[in-house]
Parts: sequence; structure tokens; C-alpha cells
Amino acid sequence: MANLNIDAVKERTFQAIVIGSGLSGSWAAKELCEHGVKTLVIERGRDVKHIKDYPTTNMLPYEFEHRGQIPQEIQKENPVVSRCYAFREDAAHFFVKDKEHPYVQEKPFDWIRGYQVGGKSLLWARQVQRWSDFDFEGPARDGFAVDWPIRYKDIAPWYSHVEKFAGVSGNKDGLPNLPDGEFLPGYPLNVVEKYFQDQLKQHYGDTRHMILARCAHINGNFDYYAQQGRAKCQSRNLCQRGCPFGGYFSANSSTIPWAEKTGNMTMRTDAVVHSIIYDEEKGKATGVRIVDAHTKEMEEYFADVIFVNAAALNTNLILLNSTSNRFPNGLGNDNGLLGKYVAFHNYRAGISAEYEGHLEYTTQGGRPTSGYFPRFRNVLKQETDFLRGYAAGFSANRGSYSDQSGIGMELKESLLNPDKYGPWRVGSHMMGETIPKESNYVALDPNQKDDWGMPLLRINVDYDDNDEKMVKDYLEQMTEMFEKAGFTNIQTRDDHRAPGLDIHEMGGVRMGKDSKTSLLNGNHQLHAVPNVYVTDGASMTSTATQNPSLTYMAFAARAAHHAMKTLG
Amino acid sequence: MKRRDALRSLALITGGLVLVPSCDFSKEDILSAYQNLNITPSLKQLLADIADTIIPAGNIKGAADIEVQDFILVMVNDCMDEEGQKTFMNGLNSFEDFSKKTAGSSFGKLDQKQKESLILSGLSSEDESQKEIRDFLRTTKRFTTQGFMMSEYIQTQVKPYSLIPGEYKGDVLIADLKPVRING
Repeated sequence: MANLNIDAVKERTFQAIVIGSGLSGSWAAKELCEHGVKTLVIERGRDVKHIKDYPTTNMLPYEFEHRGQIPQEIQKENPVVSRCYAFREDAAHFFVKDKEHPYVQEKPFDWIRGYQVGGKSLLWARQVQRWSDFDFEGPARDGFAVDWPIRYKDIAPWYSHVEKFAGVSGNKDGLPNLPDGEFLPGYPLNVVEKYFQDQLKQHYGDTRHMILARCAHINGNFDYYAQQGRAKCQSRNLCQRGCPFGGYFSANSSTIPWAEKTGNMTMRTDAVVHSIIYDEEKGKATGVRIVDAHTKEMEEYFADVIFVNAAALNTNLILLNSTSNRFPNGLGNDNGLLGKYVAFHNYRAGISAEYEGHLEYTTQGGRPTSGYFPRFRNVLKQETDFLRGYAAGFSANRGSYSDQSGIGMELKESLLNPDKYGPWRVGSHMMGETIPKESNYVALDPNQKDDWGMPLLRINVDYDDNDEKMVKDYLEQMTEMFEKAGFTNIQTRDDHRAPGLDIHEMGGVRMGKDSKTSLLNGNHQLHAVPNVYVTDGASMTSTATQNPSLTYMAFAARAAHHAMKTLG
Repeated sequence: MKRRDALRSLALITGGLVLVPSCDFSKEDILSAYQNLNITPSLKQLLADIADTIIPAGNIKGAADIEVQDFILVMVNDCMDEEGQKTFMNGLNSFEDFSKKTAGSSFGKLDQKQKESLILSGLSSEDESQKEIRDFLRTTKRFTTQGFMMSEYIQTQVKPYSLIPGEYKGDVLIADLKPVRING
């Protein structure tokens, strides 16, 4: 029996464990496996194999019973996920349903989740903008949160590393606040977007820019991506179904199969992580306890190094639930800050308008990206009555439509021959930096547990006065820019959406220089348990304005290489 | 019982009928596919006639030819809230009365022109007492249009849908486009 037990432990022992197979976890796994590290990847959801498990990917519009719309009954049962723009009939199977995975909203928070191999990397918006030191130095300059322990120079080579492999299309814009990267050819801006670019130059000189947003789509260097079995993006704009071409980066199409191919990766799906095992004698983490999603049996796996990449809030949940005599309040939580200083991106405001120029032009075909405003507020110095600022999306659209006022043959002819052209429609939405605060936190519910025995997560996150001022400023500044460009019929909106719907929740396990005021060091190790790394959104000290995924990927790759040095 | 058996076989063929146990044979059976709506075969036929007036057959098929009424009922049953469903059903149930009152005859007996003007007057009615007719017709028109344009027939045989839209061009001169006219 003794030998059997030793064998069982041996079978369950790896050099590294990565919790989570999504965008950041898969990057850690890929780096580790590629360099010979025997790695167990633990995923709480089911397996989703590239192409094979994309059941809707080649379906035609008429094959969806409700033509994409989610039925009322499902919406009523799942109000949170139903508010997500991508929760449609073609991708609903990749989203967590509220009903199946409850949580406690102390304040309204729309928690959007994807529990499967690949996580939300199947569903993301694929926008990948680099941070600069204007972002990393934000907390220190403006006196909030704590100083980041790293700077742009620490992460720049890792941005390059992940951009090259993931495939990033974009233009070299030469902007210090949005550094250029390893870009494949960019997609075209249309004639009105270019016009708006020129207008900005005319009215604001070199202080405001609208550029092509960089996106994780393959648009060049095709032989290189063929090694991953991926091909050119076909601009289908059906990404949320999973892409049969591997045209955009997802863990499923890229990093997971790459890690698998090395023979060093073991994937354990349907395994809900309960906690990380801390050995008091050894003074380090030694493994992970999981609950089988189906049998509900608990199992233990062991490794020298553990990566926690369960997506920001679930990473907090796992660490908070990893208690021991040494860490009664959660793993590495000596200062009581675990779960605190959660932040997000403010997506509340938007603006739309019309443009009556360039009416001789329209557009054709598809593209997987649009225009982007890097932050222009408070970049070089503080200049407004609020801290930080916002980035913004921008696009102009035009297409033909049909007059649908009549009925009978008149309506039929009109529908079949859409030959009317209205003005160009232009629009923008804000992506505001929010300030992490101790009062924005997540915690374990003391009583309620889910079906797998995990405490429910209580979420207490809200906007503050800084966010309100920023919404107001965004709408004022955008209105001014739209007016200067001659756009008309300008409509502004503040939809007062709950935090979370941005799907950019961050923090709770922040990085910092000092173990008294942060959880992670500059290498993403828990100060108090250095063989545990956190490289997903939970590690974020501040949020900046850029879509965060690229930064998580770079963090994961960088931290994996650091961990390998400790493994020897 | 023979009638029941016959209906049962029909249900197997159409997949859409359920028997409401009843001895009152003047009552029609309810179609079970739309469990939130009380739809009888004759109401469904009326809806088909209305949809076919909105998009009639010509060189290419019309709404009823491709059974757009099925799509309308699925959408109303599954994707509208209870209030919307109630308004829709009230409108549908009172449509024959509306036809008799406004056009002087039941809908089926009107010619195409009369049918069209009846529907147009219902769609644009500002009379509060005809609110349900108006909302019912607006819903029906919306789903007829959607169901027709997003049908397999249109998207494969008339205007083939491409999953791959082609390279983006941001400055296409409209004057250079030569769309092929489709005669409905």
C-alpha cells in the first residue's frame, strides 16, 4: 500500500501547476512546456478543442433558430450575462450562466465569465495596446495605489515576445504614450476616419491622435503562423464562435496546442480549484487541491511552482480560500490587503453622430478592428480636476440600406435591392482608467457555498467621483472634437452600466515594491510565498486605459521565465 | 376517436400539434410548438396571409411560400416578454374584426390591394383603441422582414450569404458599384 501511495503521489506531481487555461494561464503553460518543464494545467470547465469544439463557427444566419437573439426565458434566468454584447445565440455556450455560478453583489457588478479550456480568450475583443511609462508611473506620480515595481523597459521585450507569437496587426504610430510593437500589416481606416484624423491634427496639433487600433489578428508573416496551424484572418467578424482559421489569438488555437505538442503538458479539465496547499515546515506552497466538477471528490496535485491564472476575481477567490495556520486570511495575505484595491475600466459613456461629407464613398468587406484614441488627458502633467484619463474607440460606418416604409411588392423590391445611402455614422465609446481603492474589494461569503463547496464571492465595487468627472469630460471633449470635425446630430449617452460589464476587472493581488502594502513583487511572486506566481488581472496595481490582455500575456511569459530560473 | 388518431398522425408529420382533451369539437386544437401563445391552425393561417401580404410572391417566393409565419411565432413565443406576447395575441385575435370593421369583409375575402391598404392603415393608426392592432402589425412586419431576408431560401438562392466578406475597402466610390437588380 505504501508504494501505491508513493506512486499515486508521484503521478500527481509535476514541476509546475498552472491554474487556469485562458489567455494568461495558457501563456505561462506554453513558456514552461516549451522549455521542458513538466506542467499540469488545471481548468475548472470542459475541454474546448480548436475547431472541433466550435459548433457554431460555420453556421449561416438562418441556421440560428432566433437569428442570434437569446430567448426571454434564458435572459430572465441570467440577467447578468445577458447584458454582455457577445452573449448571443452563436456564442452563448462559451459563457457562464448566472444561474449555474452564483455570486453575491454587495453593489451591482456584472461578472462575465468563461469556464472552459481557453476561458474568455475565445470571446475577447482582441484589442492589444501596449502600456507606456505614462501608465506604469501613474500611481507614483499621482499619489494613488502604490508604485508599480516594474517599468516599461522591464516588460517591453515580453510585449515583443508575445506579440510576435500571438500575431498583432497595427501601424507604427510613433506615439510615446502608446509604444509601437512587433506589428503585422494594419487594416485600412476608411475615408471618414482618415478625415477625422486630419481634423484632429488641424485643431489639436500633435496633442490628440486617432489611430488604427492594434488587434491580435494574423495579417501577414503567414508561414510563421502556419507552424501553429493558424492562417490569415478572413475578417468574418464571427470571432466569438471560435475561429476555424485561427485568425485571431486564442489559447485554444495557439498557446494550448503549442504547449501540448511539447509533450510536457498535462491538462486536467473539469477541476474546480479549492485552494493552494501550503506546507508550514517547508515554508512554501506544495500543491493544489481540486474538486472534480462532476464527482465532487477532492484530489491533490503537487508541484514546485504554482501559477494562479484563474482570471482576476477567481484568482482572488482561490487565494482567499487557501488558508492555513500560517495564513489564516488567505495565502500570502499578511497585510490584509488581499481582495482589496479592485478596479476596472469605465465604459459607461459613448457618443454618436452623422457626417454629411464624403458622400460619394462607402465601404466594402470586413475588418477585425477600428479606430482608437490613446489617452490624451493628463498624460504629460495633471491638467484636469480628475486623475488620469480615458482611451476611446472610434469608427465611421456607411452602407446601403433599404426603405422599409411600405408593404407588398414595393417593400419586397426595396428589401432585395438596398440602394439608399444615408450620411456616414460615426461613434465612439470611452475606456476610462479607474483608481483602485481599498473600499473596492472582493471577499468570501462567510456562509454561502457553491455546488463544489467553494465560498461564494462577495463583490463590492463601485464608481467614484473621479469616474463621474471623467464621464463628463469624455462627453464634453468628444462633443467638441465632433463639432470641430463638422459632425452633426451628435448624441451622447451615459448608460450607467454596472462595473464588470467592461470585462476588465483587475487587482486584489496587486504588485508592489513593499510587502507591507502589496501582495506580489516585481516578478509576480507572492512576497510571502515566492513559489506562487499571479500573472493575470489580479496582479494589476493600476488599470491604465489600454485593453489589459496583452499586458497579462507579457506578464505571464515574463514570470514563467523567472520561475524557470528558480527551478534550475 | 378517429379524429383524434388522424390528428395524432398529423402531429407526427408536422411536429406541431398537441391534442387538447375536449369534447367540444367546435373548438380548435392549440399548436403546442408555441406554448406561450394560444395559436390555433386558423390563427396561424391568418398570420400567414398577413405575412404574405407584407411580402407577397412574385418572381421569387413570398413570405407564406417559405413559411415565415413559423418564424414569427417562434420569435414571439421565445423572444418577446409576456406583455408583448399578450399584445401580439390580442391583435391577432381581433384582426378579423378589425378587417370587417375597416374593410367591410373578413381578411381572406379581400383582394391584394385591399389587404395592403388595410394593413397600412393598421400600421399607421393613431387611434388608441387600435393600439394592439398596430403593435401586432408592427411586430408581424418586423419579423416577416427579418424572417424573409434571413431565410435559407433568400440566403442561398436569391442573395447568397458569404461567411467571408472579403478585404476591407474604406473608400469605395458608390458610382463604381454596379449592383445587380433583383426583381421581386
